[in-house]
Amino acid sequence: MNKSSTLSTLVTVVVSLLFGAVVVALLGHSPAEAYRELFRGAFWGRFNFGGTLERFVPLLLTALAFAVSSKVAVFNVGVEGELYLGAIAAAWVGAALTGVAAPIHIGLCLMAAMAVGGAWAAIPGALKAYWRVNEVCVTILANYVAIYITSYLVGYPLSAGTGVPQTAALAATARLARILPPSRANSGLFIALAALLVTWWIVHRSTWGYKMRAVGENAGYAEHVGIRSRVTMVWGMVFSGALGGMAGAIEVMGLYGYFLDGFSPGIAFDGMLAALIARNDIRLVPLLAFFLAALKAGSLGMERFTGIPKSLVDAIIAMFILLAAMEGLFLFRRGARGKEA
Amino acid sequence: MFDDLSLVFNYTLFRATLRASTPILYATLTCILTQQADILNVGVEGIMLCGAFTAVAVSYFSGSWLLALLAAVAVGTVIAAVMALAHLRYKADIFVVGMAVNMLALALTRFLLQKVLGTSGSFYDRAIVPLPRIHLALLDGNEVLRSLFNDYSLFEPLGILLVFFLSWLLYRTVWGLRLRSVGLNPLAAETAGIPVFRRKFEVMLYSGVVGGMAGAYLSLGYSRLFAENMTNGRGFMGVAAMFFGGGDPIRSWIGCLIFGFTDSIGSRLQSLGLPPQFILMIPYVATISILALAMGRKMAAQRRARSALK
Repeated sequence: MNKSSTLSTLVTVVVSLLFGAVVVALLGHSPAEAYRELFRGAFWGRFNFGGTLERFVPLLLTALAFAVSSKVAVFNVGVEGELYLGAIAAAWVGAALTGVAAPIHIGLCLMAAMAVGGAWAAIPGALKAYWRVNEVCVTILANYVAIYITSYLVGYPLSAGTGVPQTAALAATARLARILPPSRANSGLFIALAALLVTWWIVHRSTWGYKMRAVGENAGYAEHVGIRSRVTMVWGMVFSGALGGMAGAIEVMGLYGYFLDGFSPGIAFDGMLAALIARNDIRLVPLLAFFLAALKAGSLGMERFTGIPKSLVDAIIAMFILLAAMEGLFLFRRGARGKEA
Repeated sequence: MFDDLSLVFNYTLFRATLRASTPILYATLTCILTQQADILNVGVEGIMLCGAFTAVAVSYFSGSWLLALLAAVAVGTVIAAVMALAHLRYKADIFVVGMAVNMLALALTRFLLQKVLGTSGSFYDRAIVPLPRIHLALLDGNEVLRSLFNDYSLFEPLGILLVFFLSWLLYRTVWGLRLRSVGLNPLAAETAGIPVFRRKFEVMLYSGVVGGMAGAYLSLGYSRLFAENMTNGRGFMGVAAMFFGGGDPIRSWIGCLIFGFTDSIGSRLQSLGLPPQFILMIPYVATISILALAMGRKMAAQRRARSALK
């Protein structure tokens, strides 16, 4: 992302916020008060700031997952499914295994989730790499299959036997510590930030990352200089799926303590949008994920104190994404459009 | 065991399948139109949701299903026009636009439900006038015939007619030929003098019309209420059915029927306490397999052709 498109993203943010202010004023509220409450709801006090952080973690990881797959020119819309499968894998390892030290138990849960998420993502990756099957179609469909698989598992073999379809509670050793009680923010934040650094390093500093980027930008060239582009593409998807699985595992281990059927209201789709606005730039992904998380958390506080429905903020976020996607809308300099994701 | 099976598989399944497949069918037709011009319209879900809300609100306030339908179609068209503008004029990725529209629709209908109709969750009122049903008095005598053929909501048979109309339009008219050429090779189409931009814009608008109808059917034909997120993935199922049929209306309709069939069986199994998930998975797994096999065959054919030349 270059200077001009950063500027246009900023303009988009301002325009969206102004639009929101106009709507709030039309509803007969004070826009200044609404935004103050929005800000307070996102940052003021342990509970509110924790609420932002707790939303930030899955958004960051799913956005990263999407950005990574786009490096090998695969549009991974299947992160939601990988998140679900990772979550149930972590829930199973977390509950079935007992008597293990906490760091090992947490590590095993994460590894199980990443392995399952990665393996699941390898399927559309391989179909794309070897048979050129459109990965957008396959991943959209695979999400449903993944969610049905987890729904079956949580409803029958792994059911806790309660009225609500959920798995047995995780062992205490598999839980992530809460860092800002009474909010649900947890030490998964540090895992996610570590994942961010590692991902950045792998993509931009390692040989494997170089291969991935080469394949993504020009598979023919990559093949010519001796990179096995198909294998690289599949492994890129495994990487992406592993990040999605990790996001699911942290939701289970940090927030819920068990797997709940249908727990994610499309988290990965929000993450995907964050990645898309960031133009899949790994350095910008955390900023946008944080911005979206703060808006989502803040809107709750705004609703509580001003009576302006939370759905208005969701509508403004959607507007912002729509405007941000229109690259030609606030273009100040010709030719600022970067390479297609 | 056999008693259970006869509870699941009996003649009422026909009706249930048709009913469950119709919302998906309209969603599919919405996607097919744009897909033929090489635009993947994932915003169907959002268009449908806004259409459903508009239909219920207008029907409630005006007491006319026709006005409600027209309003839903108008709203669908406006949303599609915005999407077309963003995608074609301002070069936004259509996938992002579609997802943003879905998000916007979900938030906006929730907001308006609270502000205009004064409730949250769902809205039902006796004053909501549904779409008319087709009642044939001569079928009343027989229980089975009545279940199979009577009292369909206007849009259920209309959807089937629309499938054949669209199929004719796409494959038997000059308009359809040009539209498909825009989708297959825009450069060649442009060279041949077909206004690619205008055609794509036009077809987006039509898809908005069908999407609005889809929404109106969902809230005034399939049910008689509006609920938050009442589309509940049906738009995406429509996209899936479109992939199943490869953009061909008739084949995609078959995909919709499979969706409707598995959905009906799934809900019956669930009421018997059996796991419905594997049945519900079938259409998705089938679609992925069909896509993979079709592409695999194509790749193999290409390889053969290449080696023959060398």
